[in-house]
Amino acid sequence: MIEVSHLTKRYRDRVAVDDLSFTVQKGEVIGFLGPNGAGKSTTMRVLTGFIPATSGTAKVAGFDVFEEPLEVKRRVGYLPEYPPVYADMTPRAYLAFCAGLKKLPRPGVKAEIDRVAQLARIEDVLDRVTGNLSKGFRQRVGLAQALLGDPEVLILDEPTVGLDPLQIREVRELVKTLAGKHTLILSTHILSEVAMTCQKVLVIHEGKLVDFDTLDGLIAKHLPGRRVTLDDIAFLEEIYSKLVLPGGLQAASPVAPTSAASAATGGR
Amino acid sequence: MRGALAIAKKELNVYFTTPIAYVAFMVMAFFAAQFFTGSVEAYRNFVTRMSPYEGQQMLEQLNLTDVVVSRLFASVGVFIVISAPFLSMRLVAEEKRARTFELLMTSPVRPFEIVAGKYLAALVVMAVSIAIVAAFPVILSLFARGAKGGSAVEWQTVGTGLLGLFLLGAMCMAVGLFVSSLTESVIVAALVSLIVLLALWVVTIFAVAGEGPLRDLARGMSSSEHLMAFLQGRIELKDVVYYLSFVALGLWLTDRAIEGHRWA
Ligand SMILES: Nc1ncnc2c1ncn2[C@@H]1O[C@H](COP(=O)(O)OP(=O)(O)OP(=O)(O)O)[C@@H](O)[C@H]1O
Ligand SMILES: [Mg+2]
Repeated sequence: MIEVSHLTKRYRDRVAVDDLSFTVQKGEVIGFLGPNGAGKSTTMRVLTGFIPATSGTAKVAGFDVFEEPLEVKRRVGYLPEYPPVYADMTPRAYLAFCAGLKKLPRPGVKAEIDRVAQLARIEDVLDRVTGNLSKGFRQRVGLAQALLGDPEVLILDEPTVGLDPLQIREVRELVKTLAGKHTLILSTHILSEVAMTCQKVLVIHEGKLVDFDTLDGLIAKHLPGRRVTLDDIAFLEEIYSKLVLPGGLQAASPVAPTSAASAATGGR
Repeated sequence: MRGALAIAKKELNVYFTTPIAYVAFMVMAFFAAQFFTGSVEAYRNFVTRMSPYEGQQMLEQLNLTDVVVSRLFASVGVFIVISAPFLSMRLVAEEKRARTFELLMTSPVRPFEIVAGKYLAALVVMAVSIAIVAAFPVILSLFARGAKGGSAVEWQTVGTGLLGLFLLGAMCMAVGLFVSSLTESVIVAALVSLIVLLALWVVTIFAVAGEGPLRDLARGMSSSEHLMAFLQGRIELKDVVYYLSFVALGLWLTDRAIEGHRWA
């Protein structure tokens, strides 16, 4: 469904994404991991046709992002890193506007807005002015926008940032229900989220792919002989720090106490 | 074009829920009223000072529409040039600043749909602003009567005058839209388009000093010079072409600027 090959993105002299290649099958849910500045958002912007690649290609649903941007954009729902909402509009007007941009059939727009509002849990704020909403609600309005028209591919850049723990759990449930029929890429810094929702994990560091595998594959590769269950989040943090820190496991050990905390907030 | 209509609708929604358009309308109405009463006053003084003998002949040639309405419209032209940058400044720059540009650019709309939608909304606001000015000739016709009992106002001249003002407004909005697409700062967008549009408006100053080709060039470039025929009741092809070429150029450059984002 998504094919990225030798993708490089350079901002003047800074290389944000460096020769990145990966393939995502239809129906997969991919967790996109990497430290700050790793190039996650940049990759997503290229995939959605917002910025061009310096070299390499990206294909979504068989269409080249650069050659046939409209075909790609029609099939992708995108939640950018900063929710693209208008402070002066109500979420209802905003979603109607987005439905127009996405050229959804007019008669169904009302029902579609209600549907995504319910999924993103913003029914109660639909008629308030977006500028007065809290950050979490603005994030959810952005999420509702991405879900409009039920696109086959969803690219969500840190969808749970700013949400309360219960809402994070709801988004997680939402992602699970979308899995299978939709192809999802979501970036996050919350490792428990990846363990609970994603089938595969893609770790990038300084623009380069460091690993791309299923959770089981990662465990077998990086923690050989360890028995872990998916309720145990600590293992992912160990793997993650192995991949992105030069120190490897030594540097990873002090992280362990925090992992218990993040598992607790995970609310599972 | 569904995308363009959605954008135009949203843009109008923003214009009329924020103060900016209302401020522009009020400023326009206030200054137009000032100029209007000033011109009416001047006309009355002139008529009363005229002696009954020579005056009769003069008065028959002296025309209320030319003296009051055309003068009013000429000064309204300046306010269009000044107010347009403030009406056009947010169009694209604000989307970039608020990062909603990313939404537009990742939606299945062509760059030209974005340009057309934004421009359409800008034209509607400009049309409303000019409609306010159109109220003054109507007021005049209610209180004045023509020499031969007919209407005191020549509606044809009023009509061409309004058309000229609208074309001027259309040109200013196209230039403003383009400038707005080049920056993330609405203030910069407003100032740069104000400078460009004022320069085009007053470039005839060089026509006074210069001569020959320079003089012709300055007059040919000037947006105020091309308004003259409209205010005198004439529609001349070269004037229409002048304004429409700025519109076409502005829209095309905006389209390139937005499309160029895909390449940068
Ligand atoms: N418009 C830009 N101009 C110049 N450099 C940029 C631009 N956008 C991003 N970068 C650089 O590209 C690199 C990758 O940034 P990116 O936003 O993709 O990281 P990220 O993985 O999303 O990080 P985070 O986890 O903090 O969101 C960073 O070094 C960043 O400074
Ligand atoms: Mg990011």
